Amino acid sequence: MTIQITDLCKAYKGLQAVDHLSFEVREGELFAFLGVNGAGKSTTINIISGILPKDSGTVKVCGYDIGTHADSVKPKLGIVFQSSVADKNLTVLDNFKSRAALYGISGKGLLRRLDELDELLGLGDILKRPVCKLSGGQRRRVDIARALLHRPELLILDEPTTGLDPQTRSAVWSAIDNLRRQHGLTVFLTTHYMEEASISDYVVILDGGKKVAEGTPHDLKTAYATDVVRLYSHTQQAVELLSDRYHVKSERDFADIEVGSTAQATQLILQYPQLFDDYEVLKGDMDSVFLHVVGKNIGGDMV
Amino acid sequence: MSELKKLWALTMRHTKCYFKDKFLFFVSLLTPMILLVLFVTFLRTVYIDSFNGIFRMFDFEAAPQTVNGLAGSWLLSSVISVCAVTVAVCSNAVMIQDKIDGTVNDFRTAPVGGVTLSLSYFVANFLVTLIVMLVALAIGFVYLAIVGWCLSFVNVLLILADTLCCVLFGTLLANLCESFIHTQGALSALSSLVSGLYGFICGAYMPLSQFDEGVRNFLCVLPGTYGVGIMRNHFMQGYVQELGRQGLSQQGQDQLLRSFDAHIYFGDTQMPLWSMYVILLGTCALLLCGYIAMVLLQHRKYVRSRQKG
Repeated sequence: MTIQITDLCKAYKGLQAVDHLSFEVREGELFAFLGVNGAGKSTTINIISGILPKDSGTVKVCGYDIGTHADSVKPKLGIVFQSSVADKNLTVLDNFKSRAALYGISGKGLLRRLDELDELLGLGDILKRPVCKLSGGQRRRVDIARALLHRPELLILDEPTTGLDPQTRSAVWSAIDNLRRQHGLTVFLTTHYMEEASISDYVVILDGGKKVAEGTPHDLKTAYATDVVRLYSHTQQAVELLSDRYHVKSERDFADIEVGSTAQATQLILQYPQLFDDYEVLKGDMDSVFLHVVGKNIGGDMV
Repeated sequence: MSELKKLWALTMRHTKCYFKDKFLFFVSLLTPMILLVLFVTFLRTVYIDSFNGIFRMFDFEAAPQTVNGLAGSWLLSSVISVCAVTVAVCSNAVMIQDKIDGTVNDFRTAPVGGVTLSLSYFVANFLVTLIVMLVALAIGFVYLAIVGWCLSFVNVLLILADTLCCVLFGTLLANLCESFIHTQGALSALSSLVSGLYGFICGAYMPLSQFDEGVRNFLCVLPGTYGVGIMRNHFMQGYVQELGRQGLSQQGQDQLLRSFDAHIYFGDTQMPLWSMYVILLGTCALLLCGYIAMVLLQHRKYVRSRQKG
């Protein structure tokens, strides 16, 4: 196991930020840690990385207890924080040099490593530019490269793609995917994007500092998500008829009819074949899982 | 990798961050420059009149260039000794900014000791302040060369050594206070307070002889006064020797040195120059012990809290 957390608790001024939390992250896994803002994700990350002390429980990272062997854990850990911590007035290369020096990497060793990271993240043309002159996506690539300079075993990504445009998000994800495939890196991810969570190997959902659900995305979808039959060119009579037995959400172009499973969708269509000329069955996604488990969407809005 | 190399890497990073922010460097350098310009513009004639008043008491007339240089060197000694402290306080902005934007947390996830991290900010603050003060000193020397230069090579070396002592004192004081500061607002408030107050409580803005005896004795208890005192000695020495060559009596030279704080009296006892160094460097040693103790305590508290549970 790369991370083993047992019965972890942490409170701030009477507020229980993390409440008896336990979970494990396997080696080489892409692990998604979900929760609305204030759910306790960042607190847990700060405890895992040795920034914050815990109140109780045990946290083992790469086989070492973070409380007593933080110095053994730190070289195995790379972190990309929510907001970039790269020095904005320094060049990308200066940022890498000062960071690498803390891990004893300098001179030719650093240049070799930069070549490898350039291949992985495409840094060649931005090395000599000040960080403040880079685009959001380029800065994120610099943050990730900075966290990977010392070849960590575990990469913690705290909302790495928040605020990025879809194209840049996709580029960042392709880099992370390469890292996992080529180097077997364990990735611990927090994200607000459910499509990112859905490609992970294992998911833990946190609410109010407590674990409220865990499993593979498939398990979670099976257990919590609701399939939807999307009916196009619907009539008001059809909506009224179905509303008696199903939860129906009517929009201008379509009506979504929530059904428990695909089997129930088939049953519904067979029961009212005259209503279903133009339709599709949508499998429940991670948004639906999150909504059912936490009772609000990932942005924190109550549903 | 030794902690010493990490200390150096971090120090270089903090120093680079400071100098790459042109605004920070400009503002730091502006403080001594504004003070020098204000002094020269508004107070130079006042001090020249005071010098001439003393010369008249001893029936002596000095060469105008020597008097101009003497006034300039006295004012420059005030500027350098005050700004060594005020610039040290202002130039710790990188440490405060790192606390605000979470960069300190990033360093804490790296294999670098908490003590090394704290010391790196201290050493960087010392280097930055020293560089700013050396630039200010160079500009001051150019000014003295224009109005009247009477400093020997030894005087210049001693002034450099004095600057080093004052910067060390200022940096230690700044780092002790700023360890508890976590916002730019608090740093601005502290900077304003120190900038406004320090020049008066170390006797840099006005000669101690112009204060009441009680205030004078109080100021003599404060170590900053001796930072100004050593600086005055070496800035004025060459000029006073030149005045001696021009015919000013020994008594006149002593009166000049006493009236303008090169000779500091605690009660009726004149403090020898070596005692001023002992007081200033002794205070630096005490502040350094206090700073190291505080850093170690903070680090121990952090490690213990992490091991808790």
